Amino acid sequence: MFIGRRPGTAPVRMREVPVRSPGRRQRLDRMLAYALLAIELVMCLSLFGPQPLLWFWVGSQVQYLTGFVTAGIGTIMLGTLASLMLTMAAAKHVDEIWKLVRRAGGHKQEAGALERIFAISVGVAVVAFTVWFLVIEGPGPSLGPRN
Amino acid sequence: MGLLDYYRQFEDIDPEEARRELRERRVREKNLALQEVPDMDLSGTEWPEFPNSEVVNASIYTARGRVNGYPDRDAQRIRRVLAENHGVAPEQIVLGNGAAELLQATAYALLGAGDELLTPWPSYPLYPLMAARAGATPVAVESSQEELRAAMTERTRLLALCNPNDPTGSYLLAEEVAALASSLPEEAHLLVDEALVHFQDAEPPDSVLRLVDAYPRLMVVRTFSKIYGLSGLRAGYAVGSTASTALLDRIAPVLGVNALTQAAVDQALKIGGGEVQRRREAVIRERSRLLDSLRELPVDVADSQANFLWMRAHGMSGSELANRLRERGVLVAPGAPLGEEDHIRATVRDEPSSRRMLKALGQVLG
Repeated sequence: MFIGRRPGTAPVRMREVPVRSPGRRQRLDRMLAYALLAIELVMCLSLFGPQPLLWFWVGSQVQYLTGFVTAGIGTIMLGTLASLMLTMAAAKHVDEIWKLVRRAGGHKQEAGALERIFAISVGVAVVAFTVWFLVIEGPGPSLGPRN
Repeated sequence: MGLLDYYRQFEDIDPEEARRELRERRVREKNLALQEVPDMDLSGTEWPEFPNSEVVNASIYTARGRVNGYPDRDAQRIRRVLAENHGVAPEQIVLGNGAAELLQATAYALLGAGDELLTPWPSYPLYPLMAARAGATPVAVESSQEELRAAMTERTRLLALCNPNDPTGSYLLAEEVAALASSLPEEAHLLVDEALVHFQDAEPPDSVLRLVDAYPRLMVVRTFSKIYGLSGLRAGYAVGSTASTALLDRIAPVLGVNALTQAAVDQALKIGGGEVQRRREAVIRERSRLLDSLRELPVDVADSQANFLWMRAHGMSGSELANRLRERGVLVAPGAPLGEEDHIRATVRDEPSSRRMLKALGQVLG
């Protein structure tokens, strides 16, 4: 059905064959790659809790100082959106670095991991929210009243 | 190497950049290909273009059919069409595997040891060969009618005439052919090879062919290899008088012409009229233009009624001229194998081909 290569399946083309450092450096690079991956995960997870919370706090301060609820809500919305985009741009950059470090560590790394990390972080956030909402705070007390 | 440089060496090329590099490489290759101009072959006399696709399709369609059976050995359908075209009876026509096979079969049928085949010279090199194959003696004479008549003896059994003549391009009118047919010795036949007849504009193409009823020992042979462009399929036919049907039967292929060729010829005859006329007019027009241009160069070039020109340059042999043209990418036929060492034969094709040949000739002779 396909003549030639399917879109997006082209092999990695480098400008020249890279000169790798000996084994110890490669081991370090592999560890560094895990660290970068963890940073990516933290950045993605921060989108689903810490950052919105931070902007809720900032929004509340704006509302307090201005006396307008709209100003507070607008700050929350715009701030969350802006930090989401900035975080994703930064995460993308980290992902590019992760790709290079993985290659330096001896892996044939063709694509980045950001998409998968983002999906995992969404999963973690959903589970965490569900536990918090159903068990810790939300309807939990009515399902299982403390008193 | 710095820390960042170390990691940068693992960067892959951006796909857009890779595509741009590929595009640039293709452009470079294309430019190189355009600089390398292939040789232009003007040494053959067959039609340079592919046959009409309908003709090829007819052959392919047949090949996918019942080729386990024998073809129509008498090619009745084709002979009927040809007979209608030429105004003769189907019995006066025989279809063969190319004109050359029919010529050779005629030589086998008419010649024996001690007999002579008479032919003007230079002419189609097959004639002396076919006489020798039949055990007869080829006799080549200058191509004037008087010399031909003078060379006829009681041993002459066959006069082979290429009309228009390959390689000189000269043409004998029907009345001149009739005069030769009238002066044939008692047992001799006149075989007129009209492979190139469509390229002559001296008289209607069938002028000589219409003489067959008046001259029972006259036979005309034609081919589908030249203006029809079917050289690779091998098809030709012979037309004789009603009195020569026995001879026609003897030269016919034993089991006929293959089915694929018959299908192609049948289709070519169906659609061929307009195409043949277009090709004929194109060659005649370009031949006239090329002749005018050649006469401005220091070459002797004869008038031609064929799809080629026969010429020579002063102080240079034909092979030398052909070699020098070859160095400039133009291939022509040197005259030595065709009968005159100091000549070359160059095919008339189209205006760009003529321009290229004239330019090469100008460089060689300038």
